[in-house]
Amino acid sequence: MNEVDDRVLLRLENVGRTFQMGEVAVHALKSVSLDIYRGEFLVMVGPSGSGKTTLLNIIGGMDQPTSGRALYAGQDLAKLSPRALTRYRRERIGFVFQFYNLVPNLTALENVMVASELSRNPLDEREALAMVGLAHREDHFPSQLSGGEQQRVAIARALAKNPDLLLCDEPTGALDFATGKLVLSLLVRLKEELGKTVVVITHNSAIGDVADRVVRLRSGEIIEVHRNEQPASPEEITW
Amino acid sequence: MIRVRVLDRKLRRDLRTAIGRLLAITGIMGLGVACYVEMASVYENLVRAKDRFYTQCRMADFSVELKKVPNSVLLELANFPEILEVRPRIQFSATVDLPGVEKLLNAQVLSLPDRQSPVINDIVLVSGSYFTDRRENEVIVHDTFARRRGLKPGDWIHVILNNRRQELFIVGTAMSSEFVYLVGPGSLAPDPENFGVLYLKQRFAEEVFDFDGARNQVVGTMIPSAREHPQPVLDRIEAFLAPYGVFSTTPRKHQPSNRYLSEELEGIATFSGILPTIFLAVAALVLNILMVRWTDQQRTIVGTLKALGYTNAQVFAHYMKFGMSVGLLAGVAGCIGGYLLAGWLTGVYGQFYEFPDLRNEVYLDKFGLGLLISLTCSSLGALHGARSVLKLQPAEAMRPKPPRQGGAILLERIPWLWSQFSFATRLALRNIFRNRFRTLAGIFATAMGTCILVTGFMMREAIHYLVDFQFDKVQRSDVDLYLKDEQSYDALLEAARLPGVDYAEPLLEVSCTFYHGPYQYRGTISGIMPGARLTIPRDDQARAIRIPTSGLVMSRKMAELLHVKTNDTVVVRPTEGLRQPQEVRVVSIADGYLGLGVYADWHYLNRLIGEADAINAIQLQIDPRPEVKLALNRELKELPALQSVHYRADIVHNLRTTVIETQSIFIGVLVFFAGVIFFCSVLNNSLVSLAERQGEVATFRVLGYTPWEVGRLFLKESLVVTAVGTVLGMPMGYWLGVWLTILYDTELFRIPVVTTPPVWISTIICSMVFTLAAHALVQWNIHRMDWLDALKVRE
Repeated sequence: MNEVDDRVLLRLENVGRTFQMGEVAVHALKSVSLDIYRGEFLVMVGPSGSGKTTLLNIIGGMDQPTSGRALYAGQDLAKLSPRALTRYRRERIGFVFQFYNLVPNLTALENVMVASELSRNPLDEREALAMVGLAHREDHFPSQLSGGEQQRVAIARALAKNPDLLLCDEPTGALDFATGKLVLSLLVRLKEELGKTVVVITHNSAIGDVADRVVRLRSGEIIEVHRNEQPASPEEITW
Repeated sequence: MIRVRVLDRKLRRDLRTAIGRLLAITGIMGLGVACYVEMASVYENLVRAKDRFYTQCRMADFSVELKKVPNSVLLELANFPEILEVRPRIQFSATVDLPGVEKLLNAQVLSLPDRQSPVINDIVLVSGSYFTDRRENEVIVHDTFARRRGLKPGDWIHVILNNRRQELFIVGTAMSSEFVYLVGPGSLAPDPENFGVLYLKQRFAEEVFDFDGARNQVVGTMIPSAREHPQPVLDRIEAFLAPYGVFSTTPRKHQPSNRYLSEELEGIATFSGILPTIFLAVAALVLNILMVRWTDQQRTIVGTLKALGYTNAQVFAHYMKFGMSVGLLAGVAGCIGGYLLAGWLTGVYGQFYEFPDLRNEVYLDKFGLGLLISLTCSSLGALHGARSVLKLQPAEAMRPKPPRQGGAILLERIPWLWSQFSFATRLALRNIFRNRFRTLAGIFATAMGTCILVTGFMMREAIHYLVDFQFDKVQRSDVDLYLKDEQSYDALLEAARLPGVDYAEPLLEVSCTFYHGPYQYRGTISGIMPGARLTIPRDDQARAIRIPTSGLVMSRKMAELLHVKTNDTVVVRPTEGLRQPQEVRVVSIADGYLGLGVYADWHYLNRLIGEADAINAIQLQIDPRPEVKLALNRELKELPALQSVHYRADIVHNLRTTVIETQSIFIGVLVFFAGVIFFCSVLNNSLVSLAERQGEVATFRVLGYTPWEVGRLFLKESLVVTAVGTVLGMPMGYWLGVWLTILYDTELFRIPVVTTPPVWISTIICSMVFTLAAHALVQWNIHRMDWLDALKVRE
């Protein structure tokens, strides 16, 4: 293994994903190749149907490619059994969803525990909530929290497992401008302070300004990879 | 596997969220378990009480009814290798004349040793003492009879024994294992007010019945191997005693009280299988519907959990636990409820079956099995829903569920029919057809509920029909006088002259054994006059059967037992009189629901036993005015030759107040059970449908529908399902009813299959009422639903 390879956390080689919809084959991803580096903030931008969620699902071990390879620490995710994939998700990946996906009848703290109880090396749940600024809301149920707060709980949940890779599917998509920026700052802080690798997918290209690299997708293909030499701070950007 | 405590917390809160629907299912399942625990406990309570009582009283394995045999001869029976012990005794029928009681009461008189010693068919004293040395004419009275008639130790009673009026002093009251179910002759149910047992000192009995050193019955016990197959031993006993005159031999299996009890126990055992099975099947189906809906509703949560790294097994276990919680709750509630119900039912049985210590006990094995059944049943119900989470890929679970497949339903292909339906009906029909499984489960549940209703109502009608048929059409006399010995026709003329007698008919009853090929059975031939008006054998259409001048009219049950058809010839050997076997033709078959009646022409029967004009019973039709009846009863008390007197009104009244009243309680319970099935299944289906269609309901409300109009859409669906279920359940209930009549088809009584309009009308009314009651709750849910919020719901 050379020096460059050491920096790569996950490598995608000609990854394709085809869905069979009745008699029609839909090519959601066509031969995507990409390296994701340790500790980077990567934003994937693209319109609906560009294949970004499919790509995120493959990276996160929620789906498997129909062609190509997705290598994590030399292991091809495409060849993992469902059980091994579950272990991969459990140990390596933290997910943040657009609609938060909190369990409605568990409190904020308990929603974080849902993740931490699975992990061998978890963060303290209260610490994770404190990190997202919600220590004082730990006993509140999702219905008693604002959208931004719910998304922060979801981030704390993703964080609590202490994963290598944080995958965020439109994390600001359901939030207003101010709250969205707050959540974004939080994600940037996680990268800077904890050294986490953060992958965000969004259709909002403004978010790309805070990333180390921006990957643009269209119709299941990468059309551009752009490196930001000077990423903006979330406070500076607007949409 | 890591134990996920927080998921357990989610589980608890999920359970709280779905409490209404879960309770509906728990209700059905709990009733199933309760039914099982109840029936199984009652069965065990009765069996244990019986075993204790039989051991305590040293219940006989057989009895032999004799004419008159020296005691010393009977004691020789103990030398048979299969016989452990024998007790010869004296037994007679007698009438009791109580002060302040207008009519004569009937009793069976039995002898007991003068000094108390443990004997076969012993008694258990309830009050007072055993015989003393102070008087010869002491009597111990059957306890229930004594209580009902206000008799207690220290009282005197008048009894007509061997044509002589005797004054007897009550020393005690007692019960015995041979009279657990004490039924007077000619009735179905115990009538302790009018029929009792009197125990006399052996010496005194010998004296009053002129039986010095002789006995007319022997009871005994056998070694265990012979007890299983007593007939060969009984045959040898009969052969041994033949020179002295044997009327009949009775193994314990055929001892009347034991037989009623055994048949009841068999019935309980069968019922403890049927009802719980129906409940548990319905509960599992309804739970299935809820679980499928529940996991569907939680698909994003399932996706999230899987995305977080929960294994399939963990998520599956979580949802299984949700379903099995119902089983656990139903099991525990069912066990407690079943135990309490068993206490109540044991009490009801205690009114008919007399045991010294019939008590409701806790049977941990029944509880354990009840719990196991409900957990198994709930796992089966939960499996389908929980399994669906296994198939769900996390990525797929995150995406909204694709809309249900639309398309025309079958009925839409018939345009002229479809166009007849209103918009609301079309919507209801589409929902019914699209949720096929739910619809089928709903139909199954209502069919099962209907099945229980029909069976219950059929039983109610059957008992009324039976009483009417037997005591209005077949046995039509007001009073039957049974004479102590056979008498000449003159006795009839004498009876006809009694005050208040409008009409009298003679009856000659001859006990005999019937033989047909390898089959033989004991029974009684009733000789009635040509054109008799007070005993009229009838066919299954209740048409009167003419008594032939020669040959027999045999009850269907007896014909079945002997494998006899019309025009077959049977051999009849009377147990009294000449006792000559004779070949007799069976001319026709009669239907009846009590006993094993066989009828013949009175003259013909007289010839058969070598008599000319013998009678041993007289049937009377009397003037119903109370003062006339009073005069008649006064005269009857003075007649010494009476063995027993039967009043039809008493028998019918007793049946109505005991059997029919108790049966009404049972039918009430069955209707309640059916109600629970209807109510819970309709409620659950509607609530699941409502939860699924919140968006649709919200849209209707936005369009301007009132909550009542929305409710009507749901009601239409429920009514269609109920209607189809009811129509299908009716024949099922009919067949279950028929099956039960076959099950209860015994020599003692049969239940007729009656399907009069009230059966069907009551069923339809009940099923509609239960459905509307469940819908009322659904309507309330629609009223309080926050439909604006529902509009925002993402699915």
